[in-house]
Amino acid sequence: MGDFDRRNAGHRGGHNRKRRFREDDEFDRRPPRRQYQEPVHVKVRKQLLAIAESPLKKIDEEVQEIATIVADNYEDEEIRGNFLELALQLVVEQALKIPFVAAVVLAVNVKKPELAYEVLTRSSTALNKHFNIGAWREVKLLLRFLGCLQAILNDEGVFPVLEELFSRAVDLQTASSDDGLGLEIVKIILLTIPYIMASSAPGLEAFASALLEKTDIIASAPRPLEALVDPYPSGEDDDTSHQAQSIISLLQRQLQTEAAQSWKLACIPRPWRTLPIDGGAKLMAPTKHSLPSIIVPSSVSAGARPQLPEMYFSVYADQDVETVPPTSNIASSILRDALVDTISILDYNRNATAKFLIDLDCYFAPETFVKRATPFDRLREVDEGKSTWKPEDVAVDAVFSQLLQLPTPEHKLVYYHAVLTESCKIAPAAIAPSLGRAIRFLYRNVDAMDLELEYRFLDWFSHHLSNFGFTWKWTEWVDDVELPLANPKKAFIVGALEKEIRLSFAQRIRGTLPEPYQALITEAKEKDTPDFKYNSDRTPYAPQAREVLRLLRAKASDSEIQVQLSSIESEASGLGIAEPLIPSTDAYMTAICFIGSKSLSHVLSCIERCKERLLALGPRSEAARRQIITSVMEYWSEKPGVGVNVVDKLLNYTILTPLSVINWALTDNIGKGRLLTLAHIYEMVASTLHKVTNRVRQIVIARNQAELPAEQKAMLDETLEKERSQMKELFATVEDSLTGVASGVVDEMAESRDQDTEGEALLRIWGGKWLRVFRRKMAVEESWIEEMLAKQPAEGDLLDGPERGADEMVEGNGIVEGQENWGGDGDIL
Amino acid sequence: MPEPMRTTIERLDRPSAYYLGRNKKRKFNRDHDDQDDREKSPEEQEDPLKDATTLYVGNLSFYTTEEQIHELCGEIKRLVMGLDRFNKTPCGFCFVEYYTHQDALDCMKYIGGTKLDERIIRTDLDPGFQEGRQYG
Repeated sequence: MGDFDRRNAGHRGGHNRKRRFREDDEFDRRPPRRQYQEPVHVKVRKQLLAIAESPLKKIDEEVQEIATIVADNYEDEEIRGNFLELALQLVVEQALKIPFVAAVVLAVNVKKPELAYEVLTRSSTALNKHFNIGAWREVKLLLRFLGCLQAILNDEGVFPVLEELFSRAVDLQTASSDDGLGLEIVKIILLTIPYIMASSAPGLEAFASALLEKTDIIASAPRPLEALVDPYPSGEDDDTSHQAQSIISLLQRQLQTEAAQSWKLACIPRPWRTLPIDGGAKLMAPTKHSLPSIIVPSSVSAGARPQLPEMYFSVYADQDVETVPPTSNIASSILRDALVDTISILDYNRNATAKFLIDLDCYFAPETFVKRATPFDRLREVDEGKSTWKPEDVAVDAVFSQLLQLPTPEHKLVYYHAVLTESCKIAPAAIAPSLGRAIRFLYRNVDAMDLELEYRFLDWFSHHLSNFGFTWKWTEWVDDVELPLANPKKAFIVGALEKEIRLSFAQRIRGTLPEPYQALITEAKEKDTPDFKYNSDRTPYAPQAREVLRLLRAKASDSEIQVQLSSIESEASGLGIAEPLIPSTDAYMTAICFIGSKSLSHVLSCIERCKERLLALGPRSEAARRQIITSVMEYWSEKPGVGVNVVDKLLNYTILTPLSVINWALTDNIGKGRLLTLAHIYEMVASTLHKVTNRVRQIVIARNQAELPAEQKAMLDETLEKERSQMKELFATVEDSLTGVASGVVDEMAESRDQDTEGEALLRIWGGKWLRVFRRKMAVEESWIEEMLAKQPAEGDLLDGPERGADEMVEGNGIVEGQENWGGDGDIL
Repeated sequence: MPEPMRTTIERLDRPSAYYLGRNKKRKFNRDHDDQDDREKSPEEQEDPLKDATTLYVGNLSFYTTEEQIHELCGEIKRLVMGLDRFNKTPCGFCFVEYYTHQDALDCMKYIGGTKLDERIIRTDLDPGFQEGRQYG
């Protein structure tokens, strides 16, 4: 390669401005450096950063070595400072390493108790800070760290802090039983106890049991809100894998079981046990410190995320051999919690997340899992009494618990997709079979699953396959291809294929499918540009519509177009059509779609040009406005994804209103509810409602800004009141239509009671599933708003979400404005 | 002076070495380049990517459509396909503008380096699209 040879030519001056190879960047043009020894502070930083990562290193040696270096160099400010900072950072950023960092501190305490005390001081300072801002995850992780250090703490160590926290939780729960923060605090207490009990501190059983007795009343109480986030709402079946259990009630029971078994806590690593003997004696009788003061604020702050009860979810619940810890075992909660934190914290580097997931057996006690990548079938050969838990199943399960978390997980769904993709790339042989079993589990349960989760599963499934050449063993679902469309499994297959096509193209996807599926992908789907229906003279108003198309293409004046549209309208009136604007709108909008069929930019620039007329249609006739949607969806009937996207843009232009979209989907075309089985209709309705709720949220965030003048705040509150009531009306419309389908009282359903009862029963179930999703969304929005309005904005309060100027929010008449014409139509069209 | 707190694990939502390197090179050449040969005002020195909402997305197939990009990238404010200067046909990159800076960062973190149309795509923060830049 030419570039390779010229590397030494020193062309930095810019003769070869375009550097084509990365090597050019990385090649060091200076003569090689003399061998040099890493400074100690760099070396120890690296060692601490990588602690417990390698299964090849002995953890006790790693711990001892780091502890020795930092203790021996106590006088070196750089080493000491770095160590303190990094240790605390690891605790909140790499949660799985907490017990190992704690082990280092225990070993440090033998040689340099002062340094260990500094760690404690810093930890309490950090804890106080996080208490004040309501950063509850950091609180939990710091308490876990201190819990692991219980042995070097005086008196009861961490327990008084937990007691204090508990009394805050009681206050919150007394004020309202729907309160989520109190539950979160109890969960934090419960998740700290096992780490204290696994620490090297003896004789704490009484404290733990006393605390557990107290938490019981909160942790075990039934929560009405749990029904809202139950992943399997149907409730009729007695399949135990479907019984939703809240994380907190599980924890309480598991800990009680563990207390009865003298706190074995088998999965928690105890690196301090194997530390070398010379320090060992002193480890058993360590220098103790008083825990620097930790003040739990009297009124605790809720932090960013309002809470609904968290449910325990597993995709490996019903297997004949256990591949993940059962919910009766505390390990299920400990592993899940540590992994979920890792996943949630490290969203800024999914590769690191995936690496942690693959290596998770490094961070728990040996013997917790079977060897990595042990095939499922081989688990039956595992000796009695030994673990059959597959580390990759536990990892995959944790990701799905977030992907399928109701009402919403912490990060965008695509993050969890990316984590699974990345894990699969790092260790395909281990992860792919686990994913396969997860997919089969979810597919089997599609009927009983919450509809929103079903679509999250569908989106992930298609997206995942798109990253791996669209290969899936479709043959195993072949029998379901024959099912009616209203069957959830068939609807899943159809929806998944549609989504795959949207990410790729029809011909490609067709090539991945066995014969029985071929019929699901019609030939029309392979066509890039759908036909202009008025090209056929059999379509009414064809001549005028063709003329409209010609005029639009020629960028003729609006009055010329009006002549043609008027002609359609008078012809329609002559035919006795009640709303003549409907056929003329159809011709106009279909022509726009046809001209814009080349790409989304094309259709957008065309809409931009026709904006005035389109905007004027709605106020004249609501029926005409909804005809716009009909025309778009009809034109794109073979590629409904494009249609949904265009409708979305028309909403942004305020040519359509949210209510018109909802009515189009759930009233005009509801029929017997058949539309409810289509993934893209759900997408259209959900994204329309999301636009509305998101706007209301933006207004709330804007009015909560700390330094807002009273006058502006009043204006915003007025806007809020208006938009909030519109939002409620919208949800009420959704509720009404869906209730009709769910109870079978829609006109057409009532008329044909006796025919196709089975099909109708299925559609009624769809109605019920939709209803549940949107009732939950409404409840979540309302509680979010209430919570935010009750919140006193603190000085410099961090607002989540984009900040918008108050004026913009008040004046904004639509949902999202600022669609500019950027299609460059002069150039492209 | 202590450095600003860095995370113990590298972030994926930072500008690439390419972008940073390009700037460095500019600085290096400043003596020879009349246009750049002036003192920068404080505003100009401020990181132009601080609030960037646009991403450069590269390594696309020439056949990848706007619809596919929309499908993968979520809600987008505007999409500008990179076009061949002469044929006006797609040439393997695009600019994706989001409504918020956070959305752009999320796309970097979650979508950059994954596949679209069976090719691994590359994302980079961009100070913003300007007319003319769509021609590769």
